[in-house]
Amino acid sequence: MTTAKLVMKQVTKTYGDGDSTLSVLNKLDFQVNEGEFVAVLGPSGSGKSTFLSTAGALLSPTNGEILIDGESIADKNKAELTEFRLHKIGFMFQNAQLLPYLKVEEQLLFVAKIAKLSSSESKKRSAYLLKRLGIWERRNHYPEKLSGGEKQRVAIARAWMNNPAILFADEPTASLDFKRGKEVVQMLADEVKREGKAAVMVTHDERMLEWCDRVLYLQDGILLER
Amino acid sequence: MFLAMRELRHSKARYALIMVIMLLVSFLVLFVTGLAKGLAYANISAIENMPTNYYVVQGDAEHKFRRSQLNDSNLKDVRAIVGNENATPLSMQMSTITATDLDVKADVTFFAVDMAGPIAPKVVQGAEISNDTVGSVIVDRKLEESGIKIGSVISDQQTGMTLKVAGFVEDNSYSHTPVVYINAHDWQELTTGVSQKGATDHPASFNLIAVHATSDQATSLQEGLKGVDVITQKEAIASIPGYSEEQGSLLMMIAFLFVISAVVLAVFFYVITIQKTSQFGILKAMGTKTSYLAWSVLGQVLLLSVSSLVVSLLMIGGMKMILPESMPFQLNTPTLILTSSLFVGMSLIGSLISVLKVAKVDALEAIGRVGA
Repeated sequence: MTTAKLVMKQVTKTYGDGDSTLSVLNKLDFQVNEGEFVAVLGPSGSGKSTFLSTAGALLSPTNGEILIDGESIADKNKAELTEFRLHKIGFMFQNAQLLPYLKVEEQLLFVAKIAKLSSSESKKRSAYLLKRLGIWERRNHYPEKLSGGEKQRVAIARAWMNNPAILFADEPTASLDFKRGKEVVQMLADEVKREGKAAVMVTHDERMLEWCDRVLYLQDGILLER
Repeated sequence: MFLAMRELRHSKARYALIMVIMLLVSFLVLFVTGLAKGLAYANISAIENMPTNYYVVQGDAEHKFRRSQLNDSNLKDVRAIVGNENATPLSMQMSTITATDLDVKADVTFFAVDMAGPIAPKVVQGAEISNDTVGSVIVDRKLEESGIKIGSVISDQQTGMTLKVAGFVEDNSYSHTPVVYINAHDWQELTTGVSQKGATDHPASFNLIAVHATSDQATSLQEGLKGVDVITQKEAIASIPGYSEEQGSLLMMIAFLFVISAVVLAVFFYVITIQKTSQFGILKAMGTKTSYLAWSVLGQVLLLSVSSLVVSLLMIGGMKMILPESMPFQLNTPTLILTSSLFVGMSLIGSLISVLKVAKVDALEAIGRVGA
């Protein structure tokens, strides 16, 4: 039986008020199941950032319902959403966005710490993730000493650290060349399968799609299959 | 503090610089505070150390001791209210003395007091004098630095009257000059040139009456007596010539230093915080609470200000040891604690705009950003 990790029902996000409103998301329906790796494509300005922010519980939708791991995020306040993101959602950002003053291992330990994981447990988990992603040898380096691909691998590890239900990746390959970008996406896909989680990747790079289970296009505020 | 500490570790040079600035500012704050306290003490210690808490002065003297003149009938009125032993007259006069056999000339203030009364000098070395003693004085220990010893003979420059130093008192200065305690009998001779027969405990006219009274008694003194002002010890000290001006300018320096340290920190942390806006966005998107980030900033400020304060306290301690004895410098523990906590408090106030900035950063900034 497959369970839905993310369900978006009739989600609308409207900016502005009065006469000049702009619906970036317009009654959008979307579902991601366990073990699924979905890519969302769209030209710039199509609302990819809004889509990701809304799905990732950073932005409340104007209308519609969003369930993550079976839990509705509609009536949570800001602090509850923060707590929810910490435990249920993993993020990968453009350019990895690691904290420049934390060593590789500390990047992972930090997110475990704010999630109040015990330190021995988090040490174990970070070692496991870093080894599997092939950056264990680099654990005592600062991000400035890492290549772009290595940084994104650390970002993958960090996103998985707290065992989230779903991972959102915002253009993870934007600053990488094709070869390294491919590696990162491949690893992301492997992790989704191995951990039985789900992931949504927003990208405009059509070469990265071969490991994705589904590819959707964001157009006029809804997601279309092609 | 996980983030705060690691950030300090990573950007050592940056935070070391701000620490040096705070170290210098806090050192200066402590030093000027010590100087202000020392100068104040050197100025008014004779009044501050008096056990009396109220002073009765002539009504039109504008609280200035030396301008005031009272007489026996005033003393009687005051004593009727507070009791004999709680009110004692004090006369004072500034003068210059020279010492026989010594090449010394010093400005002093003569205090004529009842040697059996509440403000009689507390001799720390040598002999006490009584109201019957003739030609002896008790002087402030500061005169020892000019070579005056017990048994030295000093003479008043104006009248030529010679007096023998019978003993020393400590910490008795008035208007930056050492106090010379003299009894009523010798005072008469000093001021009128006539040696009076027989002992008396006070001259016929004097400058003020020092009173030990409760606040109720002080009120009834003020209400019951015509033509006099009843002032507190604080008011008396504030009206000593030069005291307010001297303390005022030093206090202004201290206040400015506090403000400067707050502003320097505010600007430094604000610039750093602005630089890290996108990092804060990322952290919030990942689920870091705003309060955690705010405490992280406050923690850094606290750590920097407290550690630079500790170093400057050590420096002040070292400096106190090498300062010459004549340097008026005084820092007691309550003042140290007050100054230190004020410094840390101002630092925290300075960091508040950074905390507000952190609170305002939206997690949304994390998505769709290309820049680092």
